[in-house]
Amino acid sequence: MFKFLFRKDIVLCVALGANVNNADEWLKYQEKEMRGDRSQAQMVMTIRTPNWTRTLEIESDVEGKNQALSTIKSPAKEKGIRTLRIENNMWNYFPKLKKKIAVSSSMLLASWMGSDFTNDDVLKASSMADDYNHKFAAKDETINGEELKVIENTAKTNSKVMWPKIVAYNSKKDCLPRQYRYYDKEGTLKRTLSFSEIKTFDGHKIPTHWEMVPSDDKTKQTIIDYKSVKFKTTFKANHFSQKNLTGN
Amino acid sequence: MKFFLILPFLFLAMNAFAEINSELSGNLEGQIRNTTNNPEADEAPLFQDWDNENFYMVYGNLNGKIEMGESRVEANWFVRYTKSDLYDPTTILGPRDPYLATQIFTFPNTLVARDIFQLQRKDQSGDHQTESVLNKFYYEIDLEENRIMFGRMYVNYGLGEIFNPINPFNQPTALTSVSQVAQGNDGVSFTYFASDEHTIQFLLLGDKRVEGYDGQIDWTLWAHGEYQATSKLQLDYVIGQDQNRNKLGGQVTYRFEEAMVFTQLLYQSQVINTNEDSNNLVDALLGFDQQLTNKWHVRFESGYQKQNRYAAVNGFGDRFLPTEYFLALANVYEAHPLFKVSATIVNDVKSGFCYLIGKGTFDLGHSMEAELFGFSPVAKGDDADNLAQKLVTTDVGLALRAFF
Repeated sequence: MFKFLFRKDIVLCVALGANVNNADEWLKYQEKEMRGDRSQAQMVMTIRTPNWTRTLEIESDVEGKNQALSTIKSPAKEKGIRTLRIENNMWNYFPKLKKKIAVSSSMLLASWMGSDFTNDDVLKASSMADDYNHKFAAKDETINGEELKVIENTAKTNSKVMWPKIVAYNSKKDCLPRQYRYYDKEGTLKRTLSFSEIKTFDGHKIPTHWEMVPSDDKTKQTIIDYKSVKFKTTFKANHFSQKNLTGN
Repeated sequence: MKFFLILPFLFLAMNAFAEINSELSGNLEGQIRNTTNNPEADEAPLFQDWDNENFYMVYGNLNGKIEMGESRVEANWFVRYTKSDLYDPTTILGPRDPYLATQIFTFPNTLVARDIFQLQRKDQSGDHQTESVLNKFYYEIDLEENRIMFGRMYVNYGLGEIFNPINPFNQPTALTSVSQVAQGNDGVSFTYFASDEHTIQFLLLGDKRVEGYDGQIDWTLWAHGEYQATSKLQLDYVIGQDQNRNKLGGQVTYRFEEAMVFTQLLYQSQVINTNEDSNNLVDALLGFDQQLTNKWHVRFESGYQKQNRYAAVNGFGDRFLPTEYFLALANVYEAHPLFKVSATIVNDVKSGFCYLIGKGTFDLGHSMEAELFGFSPVAKGDDADNLAQKLVTTDVGLALRAFF
């Protein structure tokens, strides 16, 4: 008993307490921290290659797991475009043309504004905690000098997710992820998402710098920097509604 | 015209008031295209006797918005200048009307679909044409479960990108070379958000253009409802009287896990309130939409429209392409985050007419983009009733766009 209490994991990853050896609890904790019950985030997305850089500013509102609304704040061409997700249904709204269009749920896997993130990523349609089975890998791994707990997440048979397998590398200091590796059906690594710059917003610790690198073109990357996140926020009753989507 | 020039300053001045938000945005585009005539258009009864010409176009939108709490005023000023020898044909018999191909290049030719207030001007002289239209200018207020709008407004609904029969108030522009263009409609809109699943929009619109602005108003009384029946099934319905026909129709949308299927049907009665002979009309559409991979989007539309075959010799009617029974396949592929290619092929299964549209769009950064486009009839139609298909030209062009 005495020996168990002083295991390295428990000492370092205090937040998970006695659940430190339960992979499900790691994922639940991460989702609770990073997603909360609801959130309103201001973020900057930078798409970068050796020759050019493109920057978008986005506001992302999320309520629970079924409702999300994103609004592009800049650049001028896309400014004001909104995407509403209610469960797996999605609508895009183009305010300059007063045009709302329903889009098929297959659009969740579409690239978001030419980035390496998909609509699914930006609208937080899938949940790592709920849609995947989790287990610890046999060995920890070291990335950038930090020894990380490795959790293999395999899609549940009835879940509708884009990636059949995601391997998460998690810090033992704050229990938050440092890297996700996304694999396709053939087990080929398709993209890698790295997390850094942990900050606290409204009592929630989250990584604020996300870097996505596709495996087929490592010279390219998409970076998301969270400028602010409000977790203690409330949305109007009709915030995630057709009326609000089409209002200005 | 002075009124148009004052508008931008009016919107900017509004920022001086803390509780009032205002915004000015827009786009500017220049296009050059080289166009080659269909040899059959040279013959009787079309007499479009030209071979190859250049066509130049510059157009822009200036959009202003003022928000005050739950209400807002929004306006859009559209200006277009076009220049080509096709506007100024001279034959041995003397000057004549511009060649009809110019109507394709400037589609939609009418920026106001239901017009009471006019607020537009079009001048054509020599080899150029200038248009200036306030195609959006409305006041809108959100109440608890309602939204009321009056003035000149865009009415944009329906999933058809190539053919969208349930919405007669805005022509689809997916096949054209223009972007950020929509048609205004004069009147009043009342939207009732009955529940999260059900919304109904009532429209009372008017059109004085038929009588040259001095005669009576042709009224449109219209209802469009959207009902989310289940998480996968959406039903749209339209009913009303528009342009002296009673119309009834709807759209059914079903979303599978991987794709979306939709269909539209619109019935139009004979022309009412006049003694002229007319027929009932039926328009139909079937569509399929899927994101095949994270970079490749595909759409299929097929449809039937009866009325357009009668638009033949005088021009292109109110549609970009003169097809009666059509099948269309549209692909968009993101070859690079800064480069998209799209290819659309439209086939009139009755006449055999087949049209290919290819576009490559480059993001130049700094809110600018360039588009290389090509339009070509790849198979000629043999439908003697549909002469307009012989007017379709082969074009290659370049567009430069800036957004602000």
